[in-house]
Amino acid sequence: MNVETALKEATTVIDGAIGAALVDYGSGMALGTVGGGKELDLGVAAAGNTDVVRAKVRTMEMLGLKDEIEDILITLGGQYHLIRLLKGRGASGFFLYLALDRGRANLAMARHQLKRIENELEI
Amino acid sequence: MTALATAAVSPLLTRLAAERATGALLRDRGTLFLEDGRIVHAESPATPGLDVLLTTGGGLAPERWREAVDRAGARRQVARFLVDSGGLAGGELEICHLAAIFDAAFFALSPGSGPSRFRRGATHWIGSVRSVPAAAVERETRRRRELLDAVWPYPQLDTSPVVPRAAAPGQTVTARQRALLAHADGLRTPADLAWVLGRPAFHTLLDVRRLAAAGLVETPLAPVRAVRAATTLPDWMTDTQSPDVALLRRLRDALEASL
Repeated sequence: MNVETALKEATTVIDGAIGAALVDYGSGMALGTVGGGKELDLGVAAAGNTDVVRAKVRTMEMLGLKDEIEDILITLGGQYHLIRLLKGRGASGFFLYLALDRGRANLAMARHQLKRIENELEI
Repeated sequence: MTALATAAVSPLLTRLAAERATGALLRDRGTLFLEDGRIVHAESPATPGLDVLLTTGGGLAPERWREAVDRAGARRQVARFLVDSGGLAGGELEICHLAAIFDAAFFALSPGSGPSRFRRGATHWIGSVRSVPAAAVERETRRRRELLDAVWPYPQLDTSPVVPRAAAPGQTVTARQRALLAHADGLRTPADLAWVLGRPAFHTLLDVRRLAAAGLVETPLAPVRAVRAATTLPDWMTDTQSPDVALLRRLRDALEASL
């Protein structure tokens, strides 16, 4: 499955999805985006959430936690933002970013489906 | 945004995209390959190529890369061969290829990269992976320039040897930054480190600027400009003379004949 298909699947299969992006956090660039529209500029979200990931990685270093981040959840009044770090051998430094409508989303199901989509992305 | 920031990064690229051109746009610091006006590949001597990103940075064995180039290079289908032969997952190739395009384009389109030439019809042996609109590449190139200066506006860091400094008590770095600092021996420049680590060169520039902003890498002082005594040059040196057009024509013809 290629990047665009994976992102399309994320926004169609996952209930309440507003938009999805694959982000390179070494540069803050979105390698692909689907959805978003006027209410959510995924390019800006990609660059900004790079700082979120970096801050969390650094905090874990400070705490001496020898573990890896699987995903990060940010809960807004009306949305969920889900950041899933990719773990493939060549893909260190990328994350999937998914914005969900809180009223329509099933969080547990969304996390599960995003994990499945990561596996299908073959990296 | 200033007028400068919104100006086209390369007017020639904009025009080639509009006329849906196919070929190679050659500049001093890199080459962009276009197909129907979209960018399908890019390379720059300033950045590690796709081969380095996939082998040193990724998990591809160097011999698999060589095998793909040997067996599929002539028919310009190296990318497809890598995936079809099971050496590489399609997603990994696509992501690394995109990273390589934007990385090389950043340097190829940098200011002062000299005049542009276009070789119509030229293609690259990597073959087709994915294409991106020229406008997206120009936009990203501009964003990257602004990002570097927003992080720490000392461009001399990009070309100077990276000299680590001791961390303050309690200061930590990420695993990626630690790997970079471990290879910074006081001689390697950010570009050298990018090759050693198998990472895109822009990512390394950004990491170095961030480390310098945090005080973990020395920020070199701006080179002192040599102060020269004002000397009066003779008129025959300073008066502008019209160029020898005939000579320039002969030079151009000779160069074109030798290509």
